[in-house]
Amino acid sequence: MTAEQQSQQTQSGSEFEREPVPQSKRLGFKSFVGMYAGEHTAGTELMIGPLFVAAGVSAFDVVVGLIAGNVLAVLSWVFLCAPIATRARLTLYYQLEKICGRKLVTLYNLANGVMFCFLAGAMVTVSATALGVWFKFPMPELSDRYPNSVGWVLAVLACGAMISVVAAYGYEIVSKVANIAAPWMVLVFIAFGLVGLGQFIDATGTQIDSLADVWTLAQTSIWKGGDPLPDRIKFTFWHVMFFAWFCNMAMHIGMSDLSVLRFAKKTWYAIASGTGMFLGHFLAWLAASILYAFQLHQDPANTKVLPGPLTYQAAGLTGLLCVIVAGWTTANPTIYRAGLAFQAIIPKSSRFRVTMITGAIATIAAMFPALAMKLLEFVALYGLILMPMGAVVFMDFWVIPKLGLRGSYAELSGRSFNWAAGAAWIVTLAVCLGIVFVVGSWTLYFVALPGWFIASGVYLGLSRVYQRQALPSLARQQISPGAAEA
Amino acid sequence: MQKTTLLKIVSLLSLVALILPSILFLAGRMELTTVKWVMLAATVVWFVAATPWMWKQSG
Repeated sequence: MTAEQQSQQTQSGSEFEREPVPQSKRLGFKSFVGMYAGEHTAGTELMIGPLFVAAGVSAFDVVVGLIAGNVLAVLSWVFLCAPIATRARLTLYYQLEKICGRKLVTLYNLANGVMFCFLAGAMVTVSATALGVWFKFPMPELSDRYPNSVGWVLAVLACGAMISVVAAYGYEIVSKVANIAAPWMVLVFIAFGLVGLGQFIDATGTQIDSLADVWTLAQTSIWKGGDPLPDRIKFTFWHVMFFAWFCNMAMHIGMSDLSVLRFAKKTWYAIASGTGMFLGHFLAWLAASILYAFQLHQDPANTKVLPGPLTYQAAGLTGLLCVIVAGWTTANPTIYRAGLAFQAIIPKSSRFRVTMITGAIATIAAMFPALAMKLLEFVALYGLILMPMGAVVFMDFWVIPKLGLRGSYAELSGRSFNWAAGAAWIVTLAVCLGIVFVVGSWTLYFVALPGWFIASGVYLGLSRVYQRQALPSLARQQISPGAAEA
Repeated sequence: MQKTTLLKIVSLLSLVALILPSILFLAGRMELTTVKWVMLAATVVWFVAATPWMWKQSG
């Protein structure tokens, strides 16, 4: 059983949902290597790579920025998330419930579920672009926000319906298919890059005798830098680095992967996240961006970011199959997880019904190309929204006890809404989104960094005040068990 | 046991056949049309050969 399967089993409520993972159930390093490699080589990588090119990124900025950002992401898993995961060995949801109380966790689940829905929507969009190659209906432009043809709507409906039904009925089968497809998919992604590079060499007539020649081609023809496409934010080294670091912020700094890494025998196993980062968020992004750069090289007016046609011209039917499989196998667990998050809010609702409703929301979202075409912005927002709770967990685990305060305060005090944590979340989002609206949308890629310190500071400061105010009830709670024993 | 070993070898070879054409294309030794057909054939072989043993493994 892989770490992901363990985690999913746990999230579905069957194992260790409210208790630490016992020693006998802990997993080895290999389980995490496969899980991270598969999870981060998704359909959306085929959107993100091209969007870097659309943002006018240069060769140095994209290559070095991705290396730096991915290293920071891995370090975040290793030093922020894993040490807590392997000490507490609890799911994020249970840990948050102990700190924040049930009502605040419900709000967190709602936010998490909504973000998962939209993320799954982007994956459905990616899959639908493959159908466009076969059925030749008009597909969305880079600047489109609304559905632009009946064919597009029907294609999204077909993909979304199929993915939702499978997620509701046969999630385990998809999980197995995803495991089988993972090694194949990684190699197809690499093949995209090699073919794209070969096409550039042919088209430009470049003589390649050394790696230096490849680098020159990259600088002059593939990632040329310069102005971004209309309505796009210009990406520099810093944008790329912060994007690569924060695109999975919900998982590492946001602590979502506590649920996964609690199964790790050792803390350092979190370094396995490097496979996902450097296969999916380096090789796959670069490969997809090469394909899009070649499309622009052939026809600068064709700015459409459509993974279906892009991969079809490079790898034929294998490319299309990769788009469908990559979109499908990653949209399924995402819809499933969104369903779990919603089901946690209404525990009595049936899993099937919740998953179908979740899938329907994701499908409707997928019809609007704005979601996929603005994927860079959405991913940054997704991390930002869930990050403050990661800061709360981090501070509660390491710093709160050192200040003489009580960790897991909601559990101790019996409160269902820890206002210190709630305010840390709300204030951080208000400040960060305020900066984005007032200073400019480019700050969206960076505000999460000061945001983490704001969330931490607010949580610590308010905890001091809040716990002092609530001390009498806590004292009563602590006295009563002893009194009963006496 | 022997059948599984054979399937694993075929699976591995199919992955080699999947990536090799793109390397040859990059080196200017293979046409793109051929690359696409070989990749498709390798894909079919991978899913046929890998499914039986990986299905059990991931169960």
